[in-house]
Amino acid sequence: MCDVQAKLIAWLDRELSSDEAAGVERHIEGCKECRCRLAAYEQVSNTFDAYCDAVEAVKTRRRVLRWVHALASAAVAAVVMFLAFSRTRIEPPPVLIPAITAASVGLPAPPELESAPRKTIHRRHPVAPVQVRAAKGQPMEAAVQIAIPAEAMFPPGAMPKGLNFIAELSIAPDGSVKQVRLRQ
Amino acid sequence: MSDDSVPMALPLLRLAAGSSEVTTLYRELRKPLLRYLVCLGLTSDEAQDVVQDVFLSLQRHLASDGTQENIRGWLFRVAHNQARNRQTSYHRRFSEPLDGEMDFLADDATPEQRVLEKEKFRRLATSIRLLTESERECLLLRAGGLRYREIGEVLGIATSTVGDTVERAIKKLAEKCNV
Repeated sequence: MCDVQAKLIAWLDRELSSDEAAGVERHIEGCKECRCRLAAYEQVSNTFDAYCDAVEAVKTRRRVLRWVHALASAAVAAVVMFLAFSRTRIEPPPVLIPAITAASVGLPAPPELESAPRKTIHRRHPVAPVQVRAAKGQPMEAAVQIAIPAEAMFPPGAMPKGLNFIAELSIAPDGSVKQVRLRQ
Repeated sequence: MSDDSVPMALPLLRLAAGSSEVTTLYRELRKPLLRYLVCLGLTSDEAQDVVQDVFLSLQRHLASDGTQENIRGWLFRVAHNQARNRQTSYHRRFSEPLDGEMDFLADDATPEQRVLEKEKFRRLATSIRLLTESERECLLLRAGGLRYREIGEVLGIATSTVGDTVERAIKKLAEKCNV
């Protein structure tokens, strides 16, 4: 075993004085074994650096994912709240448009046209209007049904172990929420 | 062993608290510090907190006319001590296998290269578990670009001891990893 082997890593790290470094370099040129060892040490060092980068990247990614989960849960909660409270719609105030007539702007009134005779349809038997009435106790048929599992609403780890549920939303054709039901 | 230190890219003499040099220092050393702390076992959030605290300490240190010699070593030492204080998560997670999460790291690599890379990291992680705490810390600080003298200052050990420890650790990894 060469004496220089003990200095290879220090040489790699530029920790040797110039005289010592020159001695190591001279030796490496003629010693195949030391060259191989040096290559192996360098590769381990590079792999270690890459591994550190990977550890940092993975942990940063986990942190970002945690935020994404939290934001997604907040968004789902906001949508549910919006759907739940959007049933009471606020009608916009009527817009008052002043009636503009020909007289008001001083134009001659157009000649009155004779009204055309309206076409009347005689039915032999009057048809009773169809009454859409939901059966008592049964909700109106929903247009959309959404089932949201609890894991999608809360960040990982927020739910106590063993507790799990699914939130079912039934949304009517008019956009209002007909039913919110939690089931196991 | 030579006593020279890697010159930093910014003038460290007469740093003033709140000066632009401190801002430059923050930009240059934030990432190496984060990497060091995360590899010591802190979570990403904890590491961010510690880095902020470290630079606040630097401001106070400079404001009270503290020594400005080897500021980089000083910052790593403060970070190291703060990580020690959060001992609950320290020393645990660095050698955890990263499993499938490595996939995103090399998007441009072929599937075969990814498998090889993953296997290499897996073997390295196993070997890192065999290192002593001192060996692991020396390697981490070395990976952060610190010289042996600076590592010695951070860990409170002699420069020659750092050289021996680094050599022993690298040889162990080379032997076990067979990379």
